[in-house]
Amino acid sequence: MSVVVRTVSRVVAPVALAFGAYVIMHGHLTPGGGFQGGAVVASVVALLVVAFGAERWRKWTHALLPLEDVGAMAFVILAFLGLGATFFRNVLAGSGGLFGAPVPRLGPNPGALNTAGTLPLMNWAVGLKVIAGLGAVVILLSLFGREDG
Amino acid sequence: MKRWLFAAALLVLAGYLLGGSAWLRPFGGPIRSEMDRYFIENAQAEVAANNVVTAIVFDYRGYDTLGEATVLFAAVVGVVLMLRKVKG
Amino acid sequence: MTALHVLTLTLVVVGAALAAWFRDLLASVIALAGASLLLSLEFYLLQAPDVAIAEAGIGAALTAAIYILAIRKTRPKEEE
Repeated sequence: MSVVVRTVSRVVAPVALAFGAYVIMHGHLTPGGGFQGGAVVASVVALLVVAFGAERWRKWTHALLPLEDVGAMAFVILAFLGLGATFFRNVLAGSGGLFGAPVPRLGPNPGALNTAGTLPLMNWAVGLKVIAGLGAVVILLSLFGREDG
Repeated sequence: MKRWLFAAALLVLAGYLLGGSAWLRPFGGPIRSEMDRYFIENAQAEVAANNVVTAIVFDYRGYDTLGEATVLFAAVVGVVLMLRKVKG
Repeated sequence: MTALHVLTLTLVVVGAALAAWFRDLLASVIALAGASLLLSLEFYLLQAPDVAIAEAGIGAALTAAIYILAIRKTRPKEEE
């Protein structure tokens, strides 16, 4: 792509990455969550692939594909944590430990990061899964058709 | 002939959709709202999350998210199987 | 407020019609991304910011990027 596209994407990519990370990490407080933030980060991957060419991202697929499995396994394991009661039971909420604090007060409140039990962990797992899966798909699709394929 | 058939089908479809949308309820006025009310009132106390949508997606309706993750996983596995580098 | 909804949805329909009408596939994809972005604005107006973020990320950015990558590897014009 042209130098204009490269320069603009150098500026835009860090901002969009930070926004995606914010959407994932604050998924239990503000609109968004793992899937939405992962889609934002994966669109940054698509931007970089379109701007800088796919060849230099080829080795990333070897790292991204195992990461997707890690995200999926983490999600299922977090769901199995609640199997003492039911599948997907939120055991960490209100326990006082990790992410176990109650909301500051019911109704509208500024919110605290250390709440919501397994929800932030599941957000991270799903976010990792979506980033790795969609990023690897974009890179592989852009590499398709080369003679060294 | 074919063109007239298409035009007639388009008219019938458009009439059906517009007529159906004439019976839409006003925005924000569902017929039964017991479950919405329960989620809105109890999600903060039960799940300790401010974002009720995430509380529903990952806690009350976790199976939906599991299915969505499975669909994404299947899609990625399909693309990787189709586009991977074949050795030899 | 109703006028804003009507304007946004009309522009969504116009963008989708343009995407179907263009012969140049790149212009068609850009029209589709514009329609998707306006659709995410409509979701935001309907107080569904979750869906708006997902629509803007998937519909406007990722789908357009994948279509552009596909067009780059095939013919850029639609055939009769």
